[in-house]
Amino acid sequence: MGTDTEAKWVFRWAALVSFLTFPLIWLGGLVTTHDAGMAVPDWPGTFGYNLFLYPMSAWVYGPFDLFVEHGHRLLASVVGLFAIGLCIVAYRNEPRRWLVSTCFLFLLAIIVQGVLGGVRVLFDARTIAMIHGCSGPLVFALGSFIAMASSSRWQRAASTRGGNGIGKLAVFLFVLSIVQLLVGAHLRHSLPTWLPVFFMSLVHTHLLLATLIFLAVLSCSVFVRRGGNRVFRELRVPSNALLGIVFVQILLGFATWIANYATPWVELTPWLARYTVQGKGFWESMIVTGHQATGSLLIVCSLWLTCRAYRRVLLSKPERSLSFKEQDFVPSNYQSKAASIGVE
Amino acid sequence: MIRIFLKRKSSPIANSSIPVAFWALAVLVLGGCTPQEIVFRSNELHVASLSVDSEDKEIKELAELAQSQVNAMFGTPDLPKWPEGIDMAVDFEKVKRSAGPVGRNKTKVESGLYRKHCVQCHGTTGDGMGPTSALLAPYPRDFRRGSFKFKSTPIGKKPTHADLVRTLVNGLPGTAMPAFGTLNRSQEYSEDVDALAQYVRFLSIRGEVERRLIVALINAEDVADLGIQIATNVAGSWSSAEAAVAVVPNLDEGMVLGDEHMEAVARGKEIFMSELTACSKCHGKAGDGKGASQDFDDWTKDWTIRAGIDPTKKSEWKSMKRFGALKPVIDHSRNLTLGAFRGGSSRDDIYRRIVLGIEGSPMPAVARKENDNPGVTEQGIQDLVEYVLSLSEASYGN
Repeated sequence: MGTDTEAKWVFRWAALVSFLTFPLIWLGGLVTTHDAGMAVPDWPGTFGYNLFLYPMSAWVYGPFDLFVEHGHRLLASVVGLFAIGLCIVAYRNEPRRWLVSTCFLFLLAIIVQGVLGGVRVLFDARTIAMIHGCSGPLVFALGSFIAMASSSRWQRAASTRGGNGIGKLAVFLFVLSIVQLLVGAHLRHSLPTWLPVFFMSLVHTHLLLATLIFLAVLSCSVFVRRGGNRVFRELRVPSNALLGIVFVQILLGFATWIANYATPWVELTPWLARYTVQGKGFWESMIVTGHQATGSLLIVCSLWLTCRAYRRVLLSKPERSLSFKEQDFVPSNYQSKAASIGVE
Repeated sequence: MIRIFLKRKSSPIANSSIPVAFWALAVLVLGGCTPQEIVFRSNELHVASLSVDSEDKEIKELAELAQSQVNAMFGTPDLPKWPEGIDMAVDFEKVKRSAGPVGRNKTKVESGLYRKHCVQCHGTTGDGMGPTSALLAPYPRDFRRGSFKFKSTPIGKKPTHADLVRTLVNGLPGTAMPAFGTLNRSQEYSEDVDALAQYVRFLSIRGEVERRLIVALINAEDVADLGIQIATNVAGSWSSAEAAVAVVPNLDEGMVLGDEHMEAVARGKEIFMSELTACSKCHGKAGDGKGASQDFDDWTKDWTIRAGIDPTKKSEWKSMKRFGALKPVIDHSRNLTLGAFRGGSSRDDIYRRIVLGIEGSPMPAVARKENDNPGVTEQGIQDLVEYVLSLSEASYGN
């Protein structure tokens, strides 16, 4: 078993990989926004060059879609390399076997994600691009989960009686966010063969889910604030983050529609009436991509809340003996800590 | 770890969220991910509007027959071609660049421009029925009628290449039509807008030939050689557009200020309110677009009023939805006080709209005074331009 200092390295690596995955998702979003998925027609090379040896000048000063697509590939490779590093560090230092396995699962997910991106290029398949876009935020969530589970706060978690409610709500929110991601990815990758009625149904579903997510986040916030005790206060950080993100996300959602299609209520103000959508404009691209990237943050933050709440749900069940696997998930020092704060 | 989560009955994640998420995922994957071949859609709506009493099967068969004839002449979305024996009315190299799937080849030349920038709204066929179309106001343009709103040629004539480029570069304010000025300014993309305009021209020619073939088929004419003849006529009308461009005085250079300007505005107001032009009947006396007379555009009338269907009665028009018709929406008169002129807000642009009208919309060309015929004089039109612009200047300091 590694020492505390060694265990911290797992957290540091996991946090670094997660930190790098977010811009990777942003760049991937830009690829979709600029329809740049086929800007480089070959894979794994770039215009016949090895990925890492493609001339910098041709990349930086080339067409913007090529810049974005090649940049996405380069950053993905960097994330992959760091994920290998994470696996090595976890294998050497992390005592929890399930966490080490999760690190390897994360590496596998990144490799699969990379291959999906490659297959999308080789077969020019927009459907695979959509799957690639959907699974990206899930890989980001997995990396973030490793960072959460290896953090010292995870190890200091205390138990909560009656914390089941927030746990269920957080899981509900997490699942909703993923379904919303799928619907959003469909809207982003809509195929020319779709009938207008199908796209319209997706937009309405997206709006309905957005309302449900907003209400779920609001409920979480009220739940946590009303809890009052010390443990519930610990849930406030992810809960507040979710509240902030969902507000930003709703604003970005409106802005995304306006940036893409103007507004149906053009006569509301002269500004809206005069506003002209800028095709592939810089700010328009940033807004649309930002909406997508913030969606992945929503997933990660709902997972964050789920993990914090669920850890407490697990720890609040000391009356019966934990199974072997639960003991693995909840190390012995946590159980003794739970006992020390009055929960048997 | 996953097993721990799933096995425990009391675990939150083991509740009903899993089946719900599973089914939602399944519906999305099966419903939306299934790839289909990208083809030109047949014009069933046009057939249905011309033969309202026909069976669905007959309508589909006739539409497919016309489609196959047109495809034989113009190719497919991936491999377009120009009909043999007809003078080229498009720059075909640029058409080929705009067609097909999005991507760059080994020499970094980008193709598939139409699918990259236009297809989501205008549809593969240019029928204005792309996936997003039902949610947009106004609906995206259907190129197949060969009618375009904002152009420098009179109603009934085709737009020039420069007209299409202008719309692509400037966009249409207050609508979903974007401005591709960013592309146009960039060295890399400078030819893209030009290529897109050529492809729009190609789709419009193809679509109009199909419409005319459908009429011929319904009239039981022999279409064996008729296709080429129709295509020749349609292509010719595009080629002759440049000759029909209306002369517009350079009003922005000659604009007057001070009292002279105020007098022009006052005279323009009189013309605006007069029975002769009847501007206020649609645009309202205040120019706020709230006139009593509001109408549908020609794209809607094409399959409703002309086919004996009342577009205001859902019970009548909903039968056309299965052929791809979108809900009829009134083409409201522009609120001139907002200063948002879709065809451009310079004096010359407003002059063009007054003199040439807006094709396909309820906005007619103004009657001009010629000899003893009643109408608006050249000076009157220029005064009208000043008044129209003054409406938004007064409200918002345009």
